Amino acid sequence: MKKLGVAILLVGMLVLASSWCFAAVNNPEWWQKAAEPYKGVVIKGISESTPPSKAMVEVAAPEFEKLTGIKVEFEVTSWDEMYNKSIQDLQSGAGIYDFIYVEQDIIYAYLAQKWLTNLNPFIANANITNPDFDVEDFTTFINYFKDAEGNIYAIPFEAFLKAYIYRTDLFNDPEIKAAFKAKYGYDLAVPTTWEQYTDIAKFFTEYGKEKGIELYGHVAQAKTHPCVAYEMCETIWPAWGVYNWGINMENMRASVDKGGTLNSDQAKKAFRWYVDMLQYAPPGVRTYTWDETGAVFGAGKIAQGIIYLENLGWIATDASKSAVVGKIAVALPPTAPGVMDAAKAGKGYIGYYDGGALGIPHSAKNKEAAWLFIQWCMRKEWQGEFAKMATRVVRKSTFEDPLVKDLDAQTGGYFTMLKDQGYLFAGAPALPMHRPLNEVYLKWISKAVAGEISPEDALDNLAKEVDQLMEDLGY
Amino acid sequence: MKENRKQVWGLIAPTLFLMIFIGVIPVIYVIYLSAFKYNVFAKIPFRYTGFNNFRKLVFDPDFLKSLRLGLTFVALCCGIELPLGLLIANLLTLNFKGKGIFRTIMTLPLAMAPISIGSIWVLITNPDFGPLPFLFRKIGIEYNMGINANQAFFTTVLVDIWHWTPFVVLTFMAGLTSLPNQPYEAALVDGANRWQTFRYVTIPLLKPVILTTLFIRVMDTFRVFDEVWMLTSGGPGTATRYVSIHLVRMVLQSMEYGYSSAMSLFLLYLTIIICFLLLTFISSSQEAT
Repeated sequence: MKKLGVAILLVGMLVLASSWCFAAVNNPEWWQKAAEPYKGVVIKGISESTPPSKAMVEVAAPEFEKLTGIKVEFEVTSWDEMYNKSIQDLQSGAGIYDFIYVEQDIIYAYLAQKWLTNLNPFIANANITNPDFDVEDFTTFINYFKDAEGNIYAIPFEAFLKAYIYRTDLFNDPEIKAAFKAKYGYDLAVPTTWEQYTDIAKFFTEYGKEKGIELYGHVAQAKTHPCVAYEMCETIWPAWGVYNWGINMENMRASVDKGGTLNSDQAKKAFRWYVDMLQYAPPGVRTYTWDETGAVFGAGKIAQGIIYLENLGWIATDASKSAVVGKIAVALPPTAPGVMDAAKAGKGYIGYYDGGALGIPHSAKNKEAAWLFIQWCMRKEWQGEFAKMATRVVRKSTFEDPLVKDLDAQTGGYFTMLKDQGYLFAGAPALPMHRPLNEVYLKWISKAVAGEISPEDALDNLAKEVDQLMEDLGY
Repeated sequence: MKENRKQVWGLIAPTLFLMIFIGVIPVIYVIYLSAFKYNVFAKIPFRYTGFNNFRKLVFDPDFLKSLRLGLTFVALCCGIELPLGLLIANLLTLNFKGKGIFRTIMTLPLAMAPISIGSIWVLITNPDFGPLPFLFRKIGIEYNMGINANQAFFTTVLVDIWHWTPFVVLTFMAGLTSLPNQPYEAALVDGANRWQTFRYVTIPLLKPVILTTLFIRVMDTFRVFDEVWMLTSGGPGTATRYVSIHLVRMVLQSMEYGYSSAMSLFLLYLTIIICFLLLTFISSSQEAT
């Protein structure tokens, strides 16, 4: 009798455990049935080592394997390595990967080379598309992954802003507020202009020095690395009113005398500002990429900055990694005069709406199984938990998830900002040659950041080289 | 005889097969590519340009600067590693307490992957929390590789020395232990002091080993990549953008396959010339001894 009781208890525990394992699956039977023909298949994928990708590797992939019997080999690696491997596979048609990371800014290059699989026929196939997939539920971010005819080539799994983040404990400290007002003659608050941002940066860096604490008023990703070029093109220049990487999208030229804005006075002013501001950042700022900016903010050394907010989740909620839990909030970045109005009128943008998607290479060997996995990662019922792990939202319905609402409060209103003001930000412009272009930007921007050349001369040279590159590439 | 010949071909066939597939065919392909303007992101990705890519090399200031930096790096690293290696190898021929432990610790960097070495030095030199900047600050020197181009350059040299001097020591030790005794006995009889013995006996006898080691190190330092890539990525600015780093960026980031192929061929040619000169020198020195 005792043995029977123990057995019943064990069975009950197993049932509970299995229901817990797949708690975020609405229709497990459908997944099992759809995956039946692909049971035992091994699908290979690659992505950048970011919080959303790690969540897919650590949580989504093992659950998917357990439920469907399709094995997932998901490689997450550095940004450079991810591109090198993906592009080599796409170019050679080797078919190593069944799904790849398609960052928003590279999609134009991939589409131009016809390297991705059109997903519309897959979406239309009821045998392999979950009835609850609901394309209409995706935010407008999915539009970046469509071609001119509206065909979808990748499904977004991450979308986030690069926006302003600041320390509420410092900004609300009465002593600090008084000191700031005494010094600058106005109240310490979230800056709306670059002049205010500069004052605050200067104030906090000096404050840190005076108090003998490691605190700085600014942070940047200024390493000799593609990230420094992206920071200028996607964050700084747009907020100063220089859009599309300073390139005239009609004739694909960058120099002012050819209709571009890359070496315009405004672009030069913004770049000069960027270089000058590095003095208010930590000493190691010229060795920082996007990873270090998040890490140093999480370590509590930065009072304000503009960083990729995919890191916001752990910075705002994970006390084991972050020293500023409960002490941060987010806001729109400062802008130059007229930029905010232009963005509101749809004639410009104030910063970068970053993100990525999962796409299926043209040469993939297990397209259907990969399609099932992509849907699995983007299934509605898991999106709240996914957002909690990786601070990203790609579906409209996710904003209503209780987990996300709770998270919104902890992250200082980030999800509300994403939902209501996300339209002020934009993804990268349609530049199919974006990768070689980035290398030229990196060369001249890093030279100026290192002090080899003045920012003004760097931009004159850069604009000239961009024009030359465009001509060489046939644009 | 015929049977023997068959056996010989049978034995070398796998090596020949590998050499053709991983050596000869890629080189032929690179030669072929070098005659084209080839960028996958161009509207017309593949265009014949003849020798234009080679002409472009001569006038490319970025390439020339990276070549100059690369050669300076080679000269500095080899110029320090060899004398230092020789000195340590000589010291290790003496008997002293803890010699075994020293020799083991000294060779540890050789067991590590260059990419790991780069990662370790990233932490050591980190301007925010690295021990090296901290120690320099203590003696009043501001050490920041992100700002100071010279510091970045010399740090990459230091890392290479730290990593590869043990290799030089090992080859010299092998050379020293294989030297004959008679010349030393003759020097002793002639009343030569330790320095004279080293200068007029050890160095000439060790010349082939020295030149072979130099030969290996020149080729290795010329193609240095992992450590520098991890440590500086070629920065700050272009301060450590050695020719190997420049080439990789041109291939993987700019995707200029045609131009990069021409660059690779030029570097191969340069390496062959340098190696030819060294080999000639080795042969003549061997004949002399």
